[in-house]
Amino acid sequence: MLAYLLRRIAMTVPTLLLVSIAVFTLMRLIPGDPVQLMLGEGADPAQLELARQQMGLDQPLVTQYFVWLRHALTGDLGVSTTNGLAVLPLIWERFHVSAVIVLTAVALASLIAVPAGLIAAWRKDRPTDLAIIGAATLMLSVPSFWLGLLLLMFFGQYLHWLPVVGYVPMSEDFSQGLLYVILPIVTLVLVETGVLTRMSRASTIEVLRLEYVTHARAKGVPESQVLRRHVLPNAFNPTLTMIGLILGHLLSGIAVLETVFTLPGLGRLMIDSIFARDYPVLQGCLLFTACIYVVINLIVDMCYPLFDPRVSVQ
Amino acid sequence: MNLPTPPSLPPAARAAAALALGLGLAASAAFAQAPVGAGQTMRIQINSDIRSTDPGGNRDDNTDNVLTHVVEGLVALREDTSVGPMLASKVDTSADGLTYTFTLRDGVKFQNGAVLTADDVVWSWQRYLKPTSGWRCLPEFDGKGMTKVLAVEAPTPKTVVFKIERPSALFLTMMARPDCGGAAIVHRSSLGADGQWKEPVGTGPYKIKEWKRGQYIELTRFDGYSARPEARDGLTGGKKAEIENLRFVVIPDSAAAKAALYSGGIDAFISPSPADVVEMRGRSDVRVDTTPVMTMVALLLQTTDPLLKDVRIRRALALALDTPEIAKSVTEGLSAVNNSVVPSSSPFYSAVQAGGYKRDITGAKKLLAEAGYRGQPIKLVANKRYEALYSAAVLVQAMASEAGINVELEVLDWATQLDRYTKGQYQSMAFIYSARIDPSLNYEMVSGDKAAQPRKVWDNAAAQTRLTESMVSRDKARRQVLFDELHKQMLQDVPMVVLFNASDATAMRKSVTGFKGWAPAKPRFWNVRLDARG
Repeated sequence: MLAYLLRRIAMTVPTLLLVSIAVFTLMRLIPGDPVQLMLGEGADPAQLELARQQMGLDQPLVTQYFVWLRHALTGDLGVSTTNGLAVLPLIWERFHVSAVIVLTAVALASLIAVPAGLIAAWRKDRPTDLAIIGAATLMLSVPSFWLGLLLLMFFGQYLHWLPVVGYVPMSEDFSQGLLYVILPIVTLVLVETGVLTRMSRASTIEVLRLEYVTHARAKGVPESQVLRRHVLPNAFNPTLTMIGLILGHLLSGIAVLETVFTLPGLGRLMIDSIFARDYPVLQGCLLFTACIYVVINLIVDMCYPLFDPRVSVQ
Repeated sequence: MNLPTPPSLPPAARAAAALALGLGLAASAAFAQAPVGAGQTMRIQINSDIRSTDPGGNRDDNTDNVLTHVVEGLVALREDTSVGPMLASKVDTSADGLTYTFTLRDGVKFQNGAVLTADDVVWSWQRYLKPTSGWRCLPEFDGKGMTKVLAVEAPTPKTVVFKIERPSALFLTMMARPDCGGAAIVHRSSLGADGQWKEPVGTGPYKIKEWKRGQYIELTRFDGYSARPEARDGLTGGKKAEIENLRFVVIPDSAAAKAALYSGGIDAFISPSPADVVEMRGRSDVRVDTTPVMTMVALLLQTTDPLLKDVRIRRALALALDTPEIAKSVTEGLSAVNNSVVPSSSPFYSAVQAGGYKRDITGAKKLLAEAGYRGQPIKLVANKRYEALYSAAVLVQAMASEAGINVELEVLDWATQLDRYTKGQYQSMAFIYSARIDPSLNYEMVSGDKAAQPRKVWDNAAAQTRLTESMVSRDKARRQVLFDELHKQMLQDVPMVVLFNASDATAMRKSVTGFKGWAPAKPRFWNVRLDARG
């Protein structure tokens, strides 16, 4: 197990290196000059040149990459060209915001979707199934930004139950902080529940067809026990894979929702840094995102044997 | 056969349900305590975070807008965009225009309690004039541009003398430019022990209370502020911090900002779209202030392009456009057409400046035929960050097609478009220029040697000579003549078609009183009151 873990961690090094090269190159291929954006449309050429020198952007691309890599290896991802802040603490601060929302939402969505999918599969083609799968399809089809805006307008603008803009970290004020994340969490839960319910239902249907389920029923095992002991663990792994993918995807930024709900999360940081051509921040964000994917995949791989003993980590 | 009993909820699901219930209860409890501090903090939307707190350094419009509440310079813009004293009580200019003597006002204090002295002014200016200062307006004062500051001296604690290399009509104007940070005078404690910028310790009516990056920047009233005795006048005059705290909240999404305004989550929404303005005017709880501003929307035509270097084609394109209709449609009637580089709100906007292009499809077709135009495509670059540019580009395309001109839209993101603009890599481009406060600066933005600076739109030696004279001459009548001649020449050359000056809107809850927009598009929240929450 430990050897496998170390091997997987070692494999991430070339992955991240390739990601860093790709990210660095792609960023420089995008037209647009961070210095020009900073100084505006009337900037003097000499001033532009001076600013480029100060930011190291006058160096050859390869030199810029190795300078960045050397610093990155020591944990220094540079400073933002937009506001001069150190990139790593900035990313970490923004990641906290996204992580609170995403982890809560995915946990809630999983807790709703897995049993819902199980019940839908168990009552396949009956009204319960149709109701669950209909609701899931509806949730899946609604764009998250639109749903977010609707919730924002209904609960914020009309009912005045929840704040419409702003953010307070829950570490500072738990009850106030909670108010600001309810709507984003609810939006994400609704959207992701749709995806996970369908996945859970499909994998459960597969398992329900297997002989050991029929055998268990024939032995007179109560249906609830059949579902809980024999079906759920075997049907859960595909859903777990999907949860891992969703987590990786969402933790790397829920840019649209963060924009709608004015949350200072990682996604909005990435979007802002793209528009501002803030190379250090964007490079840092993308590298961080790659790390998230690697770590989550690793955790998911480690979790498989817990649910299905047939899978072993080697 | 009896249906089997459905499985009971597992413990984790029960915990989730409990959490969801908890969220709901917490929401209700916290909502019950929500309206705290009402009437003391005004929340103002900005569409992106400020870039820094260094005036005129790492900046953008939002940065300028916030910092004008915190710092002040020796002089500042008046309501009519002329320049008036701010920290100075008076400004004397020598007959040769090479020496400016500023007498400082009595009783002005920095936000750390220190009294403003001439030494502070000298220190601030020495910092600005360092080659590595990063000050946006350094080239205007170090000899590369308008003039060169040879010396800044403090002969007495209340007197500062500036000696410059060559006279300039724009010396004070440049000092007052909001994008130059108003050449703010800050206390030396604005820098840390390492000599790096820390936070502005200025003389403005508000000081920085808290900056939560990406979320908001909050200013609080400076109790030791020494106001000028006059009425509010642009960025100078009497300023009173009526509201204790100003919180500039970052809300990038306009739909979310609108919802926040309607729900009372914010008190002011800066620059809503024209369509939103129309909607907001129908509401009883919101008031909208609209003001013509100096921001300029124009269609740039690349005079070095193989096709557009023929002035007949450029002129045909200008004649194909119904510019009054473009201005009206794009701004929902908030702005009127202006084909001049001189903003319609400028004191130099004369009857000559009001002259422009008149739509003439027949004339356009005739010119195209003479030029041998055979429907070659003309790429028109626009972006959607500035919705007005995209809308204007669509209308230009439609109108040009009526004259047989084949315009193809190319929609880019703003950074890419700005890069193309700077390199002059376009055929035509819908572009927006930020406000400039003097017509010389407006013309300077667009006029110059393309070989040296490809971003320049108009490369005409005679025009350049007139422009240079306008920057030196201090005779207003002569400057008017020069601007009028420049305008007539530009209409002939058609390097660009100026479409309109934007109108800036600020939407506020009805509880906000005393707000007034003005031409340079710099919202001011001093002398503004917040009554009972609307």
